[in-house]
Amino acid sequence: MEVAMLSTLFRSSTIPVLERVVNFTEARHGVLAGNIANLDTPGYRTRDLSPTLFQERLKEAIEVRHRPALPAYPTYDEPMAGSAGRGGDRELEVFRKVDDSMKSILYHDDSDVSLERQVNEIVKNQQQHNLAITIMASQFRLLRAAITERVA
Amino acid sequence: MFSSLDVSTSGLVAQRARLNAISSNIANMSTTRNERGEPEPYRPRYVTFQTDTDLTTPGGGAGVEIGSVRYSNEPPRMKYEPGHPDADERGYVHYPAVDMTTEFVDALEATRAYEANIGVIEVTKNLSEQTLRIVA
Repeated sequence: MEVAMLSTLFRSSTIPVLERVVNFTEARHGVLAGNIANLDTPGYRTRDLSPTLFQERLKEAIEVRHRPALPAYPTYDEPMAGSAGRGGDRELEVFRKVDDSMKSILYHDDSDVSLERQVNEIVKNQQQHNLAITIMASQFRLLRAAITERVA
Repeated sequence: MFSSLDVSTSGLVAQRARLNAISSNIANMSTTRNERGEPEPYRPRYVTFQTDTDLTTPGGGAGVEIGSVRYSNEPPRMKYEPGHPDADERGYVHYPAVDMTTEFVDALEATRAYEANIGVIEVTKNLSEQTLRIVA
């Protein structure tokens, strides 16, 4: 009962969306860190998770959630896929697609990792993460203010 | 916001490529043979930059990319060394036309330009951190 109340409380805010953003930026950070770790690995090709694709799918998921025709909100544990049909195909694409900005010179050892570009992507990813976390923190502050009936 | 970071990064990449060319020139300042082992002095390489039109910012800024790598056409430095295996029939060895002063000044300039781009990145990061303070 209490759990159900809490989840409705969270769902009415943007916290679930921000949570997805944080999950994504954390996963992408891991991938980018792997690129830097393989800076001197011969034959290594950079990997990336596409932020544009993520944003598109997040947008679709939000639209689905806000559609009034739906009988109920999708449950918290459900994957936030736009439509079930093509979701599977898209899933595969996510890992393959590397941002155009990341494509760089192919070195003689057949690797294409550019330190500057990787660090740049990490910084951008970190900023997105910080933005989501900051907004999430202020959402929680609002909730606490409502619960305690005083401004923290 | 993010595109200005990309522009600064393109500057970093370009300046690093220039530094690579300079270190190659200095490393090969006494190279008298080509990669096939034939006597032919190394020709210094110079990287030229051009505006990257694929990378633009809303404010009208643009990134930089490597335009071409030019090979110097300057005549080789002739040094009289008759015993040298790569000496010509008159006893002169053809050394690459690498000018140390030019190379070092170029290296210094590339380093400063790299630092300047890092400085701009710091400012951009600072800017977005300040923006977050509105929310926090």
